[in-house]
Amino acid sequence: MKNGMGKWLFCAVLVAVLAGFAGAASAKEILIGNMQDISGPTSVWGNAVTRGAEIAIEKINAAGGIDGAMLKLVTMDTKANVQEAIKGYNSLVSSGAVAVVGPPVSNIGLALAPIAGKAGVPVVGSFIDPRVTVGEDGKPQAAMFLMQPSSVQYSEIMASYTIDVLGLRKVGVLYDQSNAFAVSLMKPYVEYIKAAGGEIASEQVYTKGDKDFKTQLAKIREAGADCLYFPNYIQEAVLVTNQRKQVGLDIPIIGGLDFAPPFASLVNDPEAADNIYLANNFSEKEPQLKEVWDIYKGKYGENPVNKVFLGYDKILLIREAMKLGGGTSAAQVMAGMPQVKDLQGTTGVLTISPETHQPVGLSMVMYKIEKGAYAELGRYVPEKHKK
Amino acid sequence: MLVQNILNGISLGSVYALIAVGFALIFNVLKFSNFSQGGVMTVTAYAGYVASRYLSEHLDSSLVLFSAVLAAAALSGALIAAAVERLAFRRLRRTKSEPVYYFISSITMGILLENLITIYASSNFYSYPRFFTTSAVPLFGVNVAVTDMMMFALSITALLALLFILYRTKIGLGIRAACFDVNTVQLMGMNPDFLVTMALMISGTLGGVSGVFLGMNYTLYPQLGQMVVKGFVASVLGGLGSIHGAVIGAVLLGVLEIFFISWVGAGWAPVFIFVVMLAFLLVRPRGIAGVIVQEKA
Repeated sequence: MKNGMGKWLFCAVLVAVLAGFAGAASAKEILIGNMQDISGPTSVWGNAVTRGAEIAIEKINAAGGIDGAMLKLVTMDTKANVQEAIKGYNSLVSSGAVAVVGPPVSNIGLALAPIAGKAGVPVVGSFIDPRVTVGEDGKPQAAMFLMQPSSVQYSEIMASYTIDVLGLRKVGVLYDQSNAFAVSLMKPYVEYIKAAGGEIASEQVYTKGDKDFKTQLAKIREAGADCLYFPNYIQEAVLVTNQRKQVGLDIPIIGGLDFAPPFASLVNDPEAADNIYLANNFSEKEPQLKEVWDIYKGKYGENPVNKVFLGYDKILLIREAMKLGGGTSAAQVMAGMPQVKDLQGTTGVLTISPETHQPVGLSMVMYKIEKGAYAELGRYVPEKHKK
Repeated sequence: MLVQNILNGISLGSVYALIAVGFALIFNVLKFSNFSQGGVMTVTAYAGYVASRYLSEHLDSSLVLFSAVLAAAALSGALIAAAVERLAFRRLRRTKSEPVYYFISSITMGILLENLITIYASSNFYSYPRFFTTSAVPLFGVNVAVTDMMMFALSITALLALLFILYRTKIGLGIRAACFDVNTVQLMGMNPDFLVTMALMISGTLGGVSGVFLGMNYTLYPQLGQMVVKGFVASVLGGLGSIHGAVIGAVLLGVLEIFFISWVGAGWAPVFIFVVMLAFLLVRPRGIAGVIVQEKA
């Protein structure tokens, strides 16, 4: 009886395995990896990128896929942790992914660059630290591609706006010294301010996990700074904004991308969420956003945040690279990526530089938060970038 | 600046104090450090948020709303802690397991609770409604956050309430007796399951209150409860098992943190704090309050 059962069980497993292979072979799927923080401290952004990528894939598949093959997104949770991200990437490579949608986390991008270079599966991310895409030897990291302005471009836009437009010359800086994203946004900003004749009144730091910044903010107040530059993630941005008010530091904040919506609603105090400047990837009024905006709102019942559009555009870039590279293998996607030119995405017109693997010519839209409301100030490009 | 630093340190210490007191209470009864408290704080912070969303439609007064949210979070903290006791600790207690198993079980429960919140709530940011129109008031010539002052006042109130329960009520007498010997307590006709559950529920209530303040001060995110580590450090400094030592240790830790941030910067501050802590524990391993500790898990 036992032997009979065993034989039946063996046959059932064999049939199931063969059926699995047959199914996999007949489905004609192209695997696209997606590495995002789904359950860690930046999971709101990770989930937003994932949703944007899913919307793009659904749209491409609904239009017949790529040469009859359907795109399939396989998501790995990085938990905003470098080790988890490396494990996830290796798993995606062994599963046959031909490209990977990367996370908006520079620390992870830096760790992945050499690994992806060897594995040969390209990562299209929004990690803005330029070291992720350009190595120390000045050559591009073979498999790493950035699809929004680098931190150098971004921080120079913010620095130029601070000193050239707002006329603020005495800057207090507060940043997370353990975070590549924050450090990469701080250094070019400080260099630009100093080169333009400004002064860094006080440079204060904190480390990952810190929640109380009142001591640093009080020091910046004592130094007599006339604005505060704070480039970091949204949770710290909310804390700093509230604590700025609590310590009576009545100066404007010059912020990073994380001050974009839903930041102001999280502060929940219009008097605190006031006098803050930031540059966003796009204006919500721009027409190319509408289709994705409507799909997202219909599907999830809420307004999309900017990372949704970054996720959407990453898939558009991968599809374009497949066309330009002449096929859907990882090598062909990698070959096609630096050839992308004038691709209309939701966040702008994307052209990838073969020299830096970064986009060229992307401008930013300036915003000011006044009493909890976002006021658009128009696109801004520093004179230096126009040359 | 000195006054500002002291007040900031005390306010930060107040956050740690509420956590540390919960640690001390459970260490007294079960002789282990209950790391599930972090998970309880996270869940209660979200429970308080849900309550605030629901109750804000029915209550006009901010103070009444705040009190109701605090009560809802405290109640949910007590219930979750009771569930944790039933699921994670009761069987271990009945089989007279080593303290290290309690420790592992409590960490597992903490991770489980945190992950449940991650699954259900991590796709969006949440922020408590604004309960008070004034966010800071001048005191001794410096600005002090209203939530910080409330946190400090509440820590003191919670400590007094806890001492009242422990030293002026029959349940408190039972809990104190159970701290010495659970078996004798049973022989004397008391129900040890009830007493341990009550201790956990009191600790969960404190966790609920901490959760609301952490949520108000630091916004809501699934890893909110990881501040429990600072509460643990404070309770070690104060002397594991000592309730008033936990409060002193917490305030000391908060003040030290702020002063080191001010003097050597936030990067070096943790290094200095741990050096001071190691040096202190070398000199006085029993902590500030000097409670004799035989088992530290």
